Amino acid sequence: MTTRQEQELKLKQTFGFNQFHDDQWETIDRILRGERVLLIEKTGFGKSLCFQYPATVFTGTTIIFSPLIALMRDQVKKLNGLGITARCINSEQAPEENTQIIEDAKNGRVKILYIAPERLQNKEFFEATSRMNLSMVVVDEAHCISVWGHDFRTAFRRIIKLIELLPRQLPVLATTATATKTTETDVAAQIGGKITVLRGNLMRENFNLNVIKVESEDEKLIWLGQNLDKLEGSGILYAGTRLDTEIYSKWFEFLKLSAIGYHAGLDKDTRIEIEEGWMQNRWKCVNATNALGMGMDKPDCRFIIHTQIPQSPIHYYQEIGRAGRDGKPAKIILFYNPIDKKLPEAFIDGSRPKIIKYNLVLAHLGQNMLGEKDLMRKCNLKQTPTKVILADLLEQGIIIKNSKDKYELKSNAPTLNPKPFEDLRNTKKKDLDKMMEYIDTTESRMKFLCDYLGDNSQQNFTNCDNTGIEKITVHVTDEWKLTLKNFRENYFPDLEVEGKGSKIVNGVAASFYGFSNVGAALRRCKYETNEDFPDFLLSLCLKAFRKKWGQERFDYIVYVPPTASGDLVKNFAMKLSHVLKFPIIHDLVKKRQTKEQKDLENGYLKSDNIFGAFSLNNPEKIKGKRVLLVDDIFDSGATIKELGKLFTKFGAVKIAPIVIAKTVGGDLA
Amino acid sequence: MEKDATYWITLAHLPKWGYGKINGLIVQFFHEEKISIEEFFNLSETDWSSKYQLDSKEIADLLVAKSELPNNAFFAENLLSQGFALIPITSPEYSQTLKKNLKVAHSPTLLYVKGNKQLLQEKSVAIVGSRAAEHKALEFTDHMAKLASQDCKVVVSGFAKGVDKQALDSAIKYNGQSIIVLPQGITTFHSGFQTYYKQIVDGDVLALSAFHPKAAWSTGLAMARNPIIYGLADEIFVAESDEKGGTWSGVIDGLRKERKIYVRTPEPNEKNANNLLIQKGAIAVDENGVEKSSLAYSDQNYSSSMVEEPSGSVNNSINERIMKAFKGSPLSTKEILEKAGLDWTIIKLKAHLQKMEEIQKVEKGNKTMYALKGNQVQQGSLFE
Repeated sequence: MTTRQEQELKLKQTFGFNQFHDDQWETIDRILRGERVLLIEKTGFGKSLCFQYPATVFTGTTIIFSPLIALMRDQVKKLNGLGITARCINSEQAPEENTQIIEDAKNGRVKILYIAPERLQNKEFFEATSRMNLSMVVVDEAHCISVWGHDFRTAFRRIIKLIELLPRQLPVLATTATATKTTETDVAAQIGGKITVLRGNLMRENFNLNVIKVESEDEKLIWLGQNLDKLEGSGILYAGTRLDTEIYSKWFEFLKLSAIGYHAGLDKDTRIEIEEGWMQNRWKCVNATNALGMGMDKPDCRFIIHTQIPQSPIHYYQEIGRAGRDGKPAKIILFYNPIDKKLPEAFIDGSRPKIIKYNLVLAHLGQNMLGEKDLMRKCNLKQTPTKVILADLLEQGIIIKNSKDKYELKSNAPTLNPKPFEDLRNTKKKDLDKMMEYIDTTESRMKFLCDYLGDNSQQNFTNCDNTGIEKITVHVTDEWKLTLKNFRENYFPDLEVEGKGSKIVNGVAASFYGFSNVGAALRRCKYETNEDFPDFLLSLCLKAFRKKWGQERFDYIVYVPPTASGDLVKNFAMKLSHVLKFPIIHDLVKKRQTKEQKDLENGYLKSDNIFGAFSLNNPEKIKGKRVLLVDDIFDSGATIKELGKLFTKFGAVKIAPIVIAKTVGGDLA
Repeated sequence: MEKDATYWITLAHLPKWGYGKINGLIVQFFHEEKISIEEFFNLSETDWSSKYQLDSKEIADLLVAKSELPNNAFFAENLLSQGFALIPITSPEYSQTLKKNLKVAHSPTLLYVKGNKQLLQEKSVAIVGSRAAEHKALEFTDHMAKLASQDCKVVVSGFAKGVDKQALDSAIKYNGQSIIVLPQGITTFHSGFQTYYKQIVDGDVLALSAFHPKAAWSTGLAMARNPIIYGLADEIFVAESDEKGGTWSGVIDGLRKERKIYVRTPEPNEKNANNLLIQKGAIAVDENGVEKSSLAYSDQNYSSSMVEEPSGSVNNSINERIMKAFKGSPLSTKEILEKAGLDWTIIKLKAHLQKMEEIQKVEKGNKTMYALKGNQVQQGSLFE
């Protein structure tokens, strides 16, 4: 075994650093001796070096399991820059590229291989593992192993199994920046063997922690409108939902502030572009769900604002951890409006489907081996609950997933045990209560977070609005109230429906279903009074039309024929036709009775329901024409897309959809 | 046991060691030294040599195997995640019947299974016979499967056409239980797992393989699988046998191991080798599987009723001879002719080898040699 001095000489040659910190060296020394280590250190500690350095010393390949594609891309780039052959296999690369990387790894041409845990399923990767010369296995974001962690991921279940099966002499390093004592104990136990836990202190003295208590959403919007540009540097605004990221983006756009929206629902290229722009400070603020920034090595994120409380202090610590990695001051702001608690509460309560749904899935699997989509169809389940059910059944050893991605019931399988779900729910409720305590505490906020995370080191905490920093208050003025009202009345959601082989273009909705009184008005007319939609909806629609298409002319207005609600949409379309002065045609008809789309829980069933359900009388009429397509509610978009295809088939050159309201959270939309 | 899966896979497939040698080692470390398989792998080379009397070649093999442990961990994880179970010979789940019948020398070190493992602990009946069995033999098979199922005995069969398939399907038909002994690695049985999904889920079928999980079907493995079928069964019934081929050599092997083997008494006009087996020591039974104690056989009787071997099976037996000629290292054409005892020209042999799926060309210097593909017979050869 070589000495620290010798290793540091090598460090200088390879990475250009003069020395390890003592804590880094302790980890590296153990890894070089073939031990297993769980390393809990705060962001910015230099955890990656603790596996990257040993990887360059070992003769074979080091595999790093990481759930974060952005992080993998980032680290691979840096390592290659140092002349270390690092590669990354992920679902966002072309299959050919992944294949080539696997081939190289098989032939010993890759020193460090990053891979998403989901890829353990991948056949090629699996083939390669029989040939690779493996030196070390690293599990990054190791808190994902534990159901008690804040971000448990099913794919990590298989990694644990793998580590259990690895020979004891193979070094294993698990790292995380965020683990409570419970999570730490659980992760260490699961990794097993003689594991050493190394934990650093989690204090971030450069943070400037603030809580702003408000009484309404308006106050959040107004404070941000007044102050965003006054904040130092650039940063992130974390909103609770995808819809919120959109609303804040539109608000900032309305105020001509530099901002952009980001969430996991965007396509890959857009996400990469925003990530890159964020790294380069292209915008003052990125409005994101918590998908942005995790694991990305951006040194100078100067502020992080939450407009929605996270589920627990650990979620919060991790999300704010992305600020100020360079050690310079970073402003951390948490807004709290008492109704905000409802979102995480609903999330916790809704995180497990009803037991009857589990039994339904089991009943189907008792007859046939089925894939996820098959089950969604057969059980009329949304994608997320289906995934949750399958993950739980896998976890409890009741089912398995075979090499063809079908789920199978095990013979002599144990019966479903709902107790762990209950335990977990209670734990999450307690965590949420802790988050509420954070808001109300009058003591040091940093100490509160460190204590919660199991770091009891004694320090002098003076970096929050309870310990010396001035509290932020919101000043609502009439002028700002008016600005906000103006914004609300000119805000029309997009309908993203464009696709290959269809002449349909992205359309517009007059409102979100739940954003104002629009949803209530629709519901009343459709299901209670059966009276025509009120005129304010018509003027809202006209405004949306002008905002989206200005003075553009269409040859025809066509409306979606009804399932159950009579002529409401027809009458509405006729009024629209009258005002816009585009002729209306009544040629779109239903060939067969369909079910109400809203009763179907997932996009597959919705598509099945309306596939081939429509036909067009006198189709020659629309050849070469531009069509405005009118409907009341846009949910998954399946109907609109199907009609886009139908009109394209008959030669329409442009199909533009306009609806009264767009729902939020349309599954698989 | 699951956590040791990596080690078991590594030990069980030591190239060219054979069950006898591997099992002998297991007896030593597990029963005598009372250490785990992991501890055995972590012993020093000195311990391997002094305590276990392993020679330098064997130690070299073990070292290579040890270096492959990380790779085998990935492999083991993949198997387990797909619901395959591993049953090593030291496990209480391992079939006692199999161990009793095949002993240390011939028991597979590691079984790969999917389905109801409990079936390995039940009373069992093997029903075996030709792939091209006649109606009478299939009727007998169906009837025997019915009797076994009524008696709550597990029907063991080999998933070949003819009698094997009939035994399985009949056991299912009569709500009985079955063990399918695969002539291939367990991960290559996709279509079977699809077909028998319901039976496996319901606990009525267990699929079992003793070979490397990725091994494709081959004649060698089909032959090597027969003793396992016989070994897993408390009683063995032969519905129909030709004078050559799997059933025949399986029964002969069984008789040599002093197993009681029951053979269906053929009707006078049947063309098969059932009578010949009875003459060689198998026990004649009637259509209900009941022993016929007072049957007399004459040489003329069976020889006149022998079937003509179809040309395909001649080829098969030649293929077997050729494959058995290989003991691991590649051979030249001349060596093959010599070892397989073939009276052929080299040109004829070359043409024949070309058609054999199990054989591949190996270039050694400027010489063309031949070798077996993959792990074709290393285990088949244990049953010679």
